[in-house]
Amino acid sequence: MTIKPLNTAQKQGFIRCHECGNLIKSLAETLCPVCGHSVTSRKPHSVQHTIALIISALCLYIPANIFPIMSVTQLGVAETHTIIGGIVALIHSDMLPIALLVLVASILVPLMKLLGLSLLLLCVHYQWQVNARLFTRLYRVIAFVGRWSMLDIFMISILVALVDLGGVAQVIAGPAATAFAAVVVLTMFAAKSFDPRLIWDHQFSYE
Amino acid sequence: MSPRYEACPECDLLLKPAAPEHGEKAHCPRCGYLLQRPRKHSIERTLALSLAGLILIVPANLLPMVGIKIFGNSHDGTLWSGVLALLKEDMWAVAVLVLISSVLLPLVNLGLAFLISFHLFIQKANFHLFHWMRWLQHLNEWAMLEVYALGIIVACVKLAGMAELRFGFGLYAFIALLIVNTLLSNELDSYLFWRRIAQLSKKP
Ligand SMILES: [Zn+2]
Repeated sequence: MTIKPLNTAQKQGFIRCHECGNLIKSLAETLCPVCGHSVTSRKPHSVQHTIALIISALCLYIPANIFPIMSVTQLGVAETHTIIGGIVALIHSDMLPIALLVLVASILVPLMKLLGLSLLLLCVHYQWQVNARLFTRLYRVIAFVGRWSMLDIFMISILVALVDLGGVAQVIAGPAATAFAAVVVLTMFAAKSFDPRLIWDHQFSYE
Repeated sequence: MSPRYEACPECDLLLKPAAPEHGEKAHCPRCGYLLQRPRKHSIERTLALSLAGLILIVPANLLPMVGIKIFGNSHDGTLWSGVLALLKEDMWAVAVLVLISSVLLPLVNLGLAFLISFHLFIQKANFHLFHWMRWLQHLNEWAMLEVYALGIIVACVKLAGMAELRFGFGLYAFIALLIVNTLLSNELDSYLFWRRIAQLSKKP
């Protein structure tokens, strides 16, 4: 049994253009001959960018959950909801499936993205020997589910537009909406800046 | 004329390009990444669907989607009224994000898909084809029509208890747009598109 690094196009002297997928011989040129984009074998500063975006998102995740995301006025009585408060209100009004949906989209998905990306970064930094196929799949899930967190923001924008009858019935968006929207955008950028090939670069094959 | 080698974008495995049939899929043997999924008449269908989308996006944006009636007061909402209401409350950051992801980028993406497939259809080279294709790939995930549709459903369920709801033609146009958009992203074979664009640019 020999232990050797896994083969990658980079080690075999090729670079894949990020934009058009064209394969270029390393060091031959700095611009892709097909699409004209500058080529690098990995996304430049992938780890640094991802860490910076994750930390920013983590900081904003706290105000997004502490402050009210909307306030509902009905017949002069105002009530403010945090993200969790909104889910609890949905459960109390017997709308369990919708409550679960909002719970997944607004709490679990952002949290999973932050934890999952941190795990991927740790794996890259400490050069863990892992089931890289599984980790790549984790990355794919993270990249796919990110946009669904916008559910809460869209729902609030619709409620704010429709329920606008002064003191009788009104929905107003709260400060947490801005923070939460920023979390969604930052985590989407974080997932985009991470390069899954970094997981494969330090794996060994056992043959 | 396919390239001799390609590399998997997610695990960087050097591969000989597979030539899957229409409707088949080619996955990376090492990480499982979906490398190719050729479609029959991808260019023609993309052209037709993007044109349909560009037509449908007009009523979806302008006609009222959902209206409510609370204590005798009725109120109609379009795709835009959420953005305007958020702006009125000085939530401009959220308003801009909603505007971009529900109105602007779906329009831009349909326009780009139309321009690219039109140029490929009439086989006319254009220096900007690369840029358009690049923008389309990057902007695609920021157009969130299907998430918005889920937002409408959740909002309606929340409102159903306290108000009377009615649905307008804008909503039907929006649903049609959503279906067209889903079909479009399913029919657009970016592997084929990039290769055709590269071929076109090589011709004198
Ligand atoms: Zn792969």
